[in-house]
Amino acid sequence: MKVSDFFQGVKNVEIGGPKIAFSFDVFGVKINVTETIIISWAIVLGLTLLVLFLTHDMKKKPVKKRQVIAEFLVETVDNLVKNTMGEKFKAFGPYIAALFASSIFGSLVSLIGLRSVTADFSTTLTWALMSFVMIETAKIRTDGIGGYLKSFINPLNIISEVSTPVSMSFRHFGNVAGGMIITSLIYFALTGLSTAIGLAVPVFCIGIPAVLSLYFDLFSGFMQAFIFIMLTMIYIESACSKE
Amino acid sequence: MLDFLSIDVGTIIFTLCNLLILFLVFKKFLFGRVYKILDERQNDVTETYNKADESLEHAKSLESEYSALMQGAKEESAEIIRNASKKAQQRSDEIISDAKKEAGTILAKADEDVEREKKRAQNELRGEISELAVLVAQKVVEKEINEEDHDRFINDFIENVGDLK
Repeated sequence: MKVSDFFQGVKNVEIGGPKIAFSFDVFGVKINVTETIIISWAIVLGLTLLVLFLTHDMKKKPVKKRQVIAEFLVETVDNLVKNTMGEKFKAFGPYIAALFASSIFGSLVSLIGLRSVTADFSTTLTWALMSFVMIETAKIRTDGIGGYLKSFINPLNIISEVSTPVSMSFRHFGNVAGGMIITSLIYFALTGLSTAIGLAVPVFCIGIPAVLSLYFDLFSGFMQAFIFIMLTMIYIESACSKE
Repeated sequence: MLDFLSIDVGTIIFTLCNLLILFLVFKKFLFGRVYKILDERQNDVTETYNKADESLEHAKSLESEYSALMQGAKEESAEIIRNASKKAQQRSDEIISDAKKEAGTILAKADEDVEREKKRAQNELRGEISELAVLVAQKVVEKEINEEDHDRFINDFIENVGDLK
């Protein structure tokens, strides 16, 4: 969405990947710095500043609201991790929180007209691979390297292992990217409708997309972030428990 | 612009870095700090409870100490009262005995006085009687007797009277 779209409407639907801001070569490998990366940098920066603000000058007796918020956030994440994975996985709290925050803010940036970070398959794939590595590490730790390799005697197990990150990354990517496409299509359709009844300014583009974006951006973004961390926790937890 | 569904190495590397950075930031600045505060608070609470327990113990020991003191004081006061009443008893006994002694002395003195008075009265009486006897004798004998005979006569008479008594 561009600012001009609000006045002229969306005349043509153009679905593409993230734009490349600039690129450079590292040992002959071309590294692209895309829209996704810049936005996620902004998110990381924003969250860091937020965290520093919330936890600045904390007191034993909380006198500031922001300290209460910080404690509430930490306790909520802790309880979630504890209830899903158990007491001994408490150390996963910060990672789960980081993943959840990246995912939800990555999806919600679409609300301020930016391209969702999670609508880039590379992002969700990275997170899913992270989870995958953790799950496999947990399995090797629990069963030992021999026991781990033995489980692949049945080749179907390889597929089941690989399917985990694939399904996780595609689920998250698909939901957000799908929402983005649908939002574009809705703008296109509403512009078309406005033009069809002879309006210069696409009146229908005001309000109606906002309601729909409640589902496609807010709800879907929250749901996917939640599903992603829940799956990560459950897979790691079950990988750690011997049958 | 990349393809809609693309896997970009740069994005993967940067996303990984971002996730790790965010993880470290959360760990150090959010969870670390909050845990520190929570721990401090927990310690505070434990300390407060310990202090309260200590105070309770102290109060209990003080209470027993004071009740022991009170018991001692009660005993002491009973002792004092007992002693005082004993002393009072003694004193009253003394006073009574003193009074008795004095009364005895007074009585003795009174007896002495009475005796003395009696003697004086007797002497007076003796004089009067002698006079009376002389008078009676003059009247009865109707004759002059000389002073010497007179005295001897009276004395004999009185002696005889005394013997008669």
